[in-house]
Amino acid sequence: MKKSSYILVKLVEVAFIFFVILTVLFFLFRLSPGDPISKMVDPMLTPEDMAHLIEQMGLDRPLWEQYIIYVKNFFTGNFGFSFHYGEQVSTIILDKLKWTILLFTTSTVLAAFVGVFLGKIAAWRKGSSLDNVMSISALVCYTLFIPWFALLLLWILGFKLGLFPLGGVLTPSLWVGNASLFIRILDVLHHLMLPLLTLFIINLGSYLLLMRSSMLSVLREDYIITARAKGLSEKVIRNKHAAQNAALPVITSVGLSLAFSINGGALTEQIFTWPGIGKELIFAVSNNDYPLAQACFLLIALVVLVANLIVDLLYAWLDPRITY
Amino acid sequence: MHQNRTIPKKISRRWYNIFFTRLLPAVFLIVITGMAISCQKSQDTTFLKIGLPEEPRSLNIWLGTDINSRNILSQIYQPLFLRHPKTLEIIPWLAKEEPVFDEAALTYTIHLRKAKWSDGSDFTSEDVLFTKQLFFDFKIPRYYSKWKIIEKLEAPDAHTVVFHLKEPSAIFMSRVMTAPMVSKKEWGPVAKNALTKEKPLRILQDFQVEKPLGTGPFILHEYEKGAYIHMTKNPYFFGEGKNIAGFDLGPYVDNLLFNIYGTTDVAILALKKGDIDYYWWDIQPGYIQDLEENADIDLHFNKKSALYYLGFNLRRPPFDDKILRQAVATVVDKQFILNRILQDYGTPMDSIIPSGNHFWHNPDVRKYGAGMDEKQRITAARDMLKSAGYSWKVPPVKDDGTLTTPSDILLPSGEKMEKFVILTPPADYDPKRAFAGTMIQEWLRKLGLPAFARPMSFNSLLETVKGNHDFDAFVLGYGKLNLDPDYLGAFFSSDNDRPNGWNMSGYTNEAFDTLAAEQRLVVDVEKRRQMIYKMQEMLLEDVPYYPLYNPHIIEATVNKRFEGWVEKVNGIGNIWSLCVVKPIK
Repeated sequence: MKKSSYILVKLVEVAFIFFVILTVLFFLFRLSPGDPISKMVDPMLTPEDMAHLIEQMGLDRPLWEQYIIYVKNFFTGNFGFSFHYGEQVSTIILDKLKWTILLFTTSTVLAAFVGVFLGKIAAWRKGSSLDNVMSISALVCYTLFIPWFALLLLWILGFKLGLFPLGGVLTPSLWVGNASLFIRILDVLHHLMLPLLTLFIINLGSYLLLMRSSMLSVLREDYIITARAKGLSEKVIRNKHAAQNAALPVITSVGLSLAFSINGGALTEQIFTWPGIGKELIFAVSNNDYPLAQACFLLIALVVLVANLIVDLLYAWLDPRITY
Repeated sequence: MHQNRTIPKKISRRWYNIFFTRLLPAVFLIVITGMAISCQKSQDTTFLKIGLPEEPRSLNIWLGTDINSRNILSQIYQPLFLRHPKTLEIIPWLAKEEPVFDEAALTYTIHLRKAKWSDGSDFTSEDVLFTKQLFFDFKIPRYYSKWKIIEKLEAPDAHTVVFHLKEPSAIFMSRVMTAPMVSKKEWGPVAKNALTKEKPLRILQDFQVEKPLGTGPFILHEYEKGAYIHMTKNPYFFGEGKNIAGFDLGPYVDNLLFNIYGTTDVAILALKKGDIDYYWWDIQPGYIQDLEENADIDLHFNKKSALYYLGFNLRRPPFDDKILRQAVATVVDKQFILNRILQDYGTPMDSIIPSGNHFWHNPDVRKYGAGMDEKQRITAARDMLKSAGYSWKVPPVKDDGTLTTPSDILLPSGEKMEKFVILTPPADYDPKRAFAGTMIQEWLRKLGLPAFARPMSFNSLLETVKGNHDFDAFVLGYGKLNLDPDYLGAFFSSDNDRPNGWNMSGYTNEAFDTLAAEQRLVVDVEKRRQMIYKMQEMLLEDVPYYPLYNPHIIEATVNKRFEGWVEKVNGIGNIWSLCVVKPIK
């Protein structure tokens, strides 16, 4: 198959899967218990008030009618207004997305880089004390319970030592003053460091172990012996022959992790009061804020599908044995 | 084979160089600058810093009905009358004095203060008329249902309004006059536009308010979403320098800075570190010991206008039987719930109206199992059931009076009682209610009742109990009940026994319905109190709900920088506190 045909087929596949997700999401939310009003335990709200609110949200219409409006709105780029915040869904998502990308995507990229680098070293020095230390530490990092670890870091580094703020993205009393842009950027970075450190440590383990194991299997391949027999330098064998081949499964993992990083992480966001998309997603689902929850999931689905497509294409490019 | 290989020195040196010459100094600079900023901010006494557990839903008063939005908006939008923090009486606020009630004409004449909106324009009777029209035009939830008793509203002059009622109303002062007033200047154009649309209420609620116009002590200066809310003193606040309800009103702080903390753990650390002066949220008893050891922190314990209860489904067996409900009430050990679940930070509830609402609370309702130990409670409940025709294969109390493990309770009809479920919210939503449900299950099993406590997600629980009525019993609660007892009618009148109605138990009592309808028309407070007392007695006799406990609201403040918090039912987080709190000199 030609490269262009392959891409076209893949794009059609992606579009179809996306439409299925679009539909499933709609019915999944409508069929889940309750509605946006039922959770309001407020005796001041009479049944008439509730019916009025439901009618104003358009939820009194038949399901098929709501579905048609939903699909039509989606294809015209209208994600509607959040039931909860009364604000345009796109505005809310964009607002949160910047903070999510800053924290979660940065931590994924950093952890992937360092993890791959250390995993390569650990595999190269298999059985040494350095390898043992790295592997055990990576396992510990990988199995850490995020809320416990995050609170521990907050308590030690934020509260006891006072090195970092106790959450949030900025220092309000600084921002309400006349601080310069440079100071404001430093302030945001200062707030970013502790959650970034937490996520970096937690993510690092998985990349290190993945790269180590992939590299170890590659190092057993015949072409490595051939390369060595050809008299190539150790550096060339490790970096060009072994590491590049070993990186393939890591690339898949990093690609998907990057895509899922826009999902944020509700627990991390909750503990560090980071205004990301993860907490919002959980909140929207549990409060039946259909427009916001649907848009968040659609965004995640879209990014994951596109990332998957890119990884597919990248794979074929990186590995000459794979053809379209 | 690979052990002899080493990392090329060039690569490691390059990474070391990057680490030591760029990354480490950058991190060091960020940390030092950040720490310097932290030290600077804690000295500032012109800012009262308040922690919030969540971001406000909206600063649009018609949408922002959650507690965090209310906390912010209640400093901006003000009602004509307000509750006195100590006596809980309704006192004039934006109104200049007590209303003049003409019983024959059914009118309330109210004179307004010469107040100003935060942009300097006058607050006049036009704004009151506009607010009323807004409630009517948009059928605004929570307000319209109360205001629709108004037949006509007149404004004889700029500072007088006359309310003409359709019928006498007991809730006029407590539920109508306490509604927030909004400015015609701010909301007029929005309302005009919204009324031309298909879904006017949605348009009104979705309107993004940048600078709310209010008459309260503070105005919104800046809202950085996801980060903070900065409010400053309203230079036009009508109360400044006046003595209202015995308080010399300020505000005495120039700025309020609201910061959001995602978890109570982190908020507590922020309090201890001095990052905030007050955390505007109920603190769980587990934190108390730690906070009490900190000399810089004061704890405030206040009663809550809350109701946590065991509800029954009266529409179907087995709880359609009043005697069974009374027997269940008898075996429930409220003191245990108070001691073990609330850790003594609360009060057991005897009546549906909490004891903190002292004017309306009837302390002389029927009490079940009061002063009894477990054996006495089970024996008393056994006797009640036995005399109503229930029987056991193995009764819970032996002939010699000792307790035993009962089995197979039979209904008066001779049929075996089917197992029933007590629904509770899950422990991660509210551990107190979940644990109370489990304890009730155990007590009922000791009586031989086949009870099963089942935690259920809150959405499903509400849908099951309030929407479908497909349940046996449940443990639920209202965290913040209005201080007017009118909700008794909403909870227990038979006309509210419908899907999504508040009469979740399906309680039907004609005498109660009559009283509930009549009390709404009684303007004489003392006479109404007697009726409300009677309603409470009926409820504790019929037990559609069995009140369990009322937790205290526990709050914490830092005592180094500000003082003068006003304690009241539902805590120190109130407009009175923010009007009188002063920096410590």
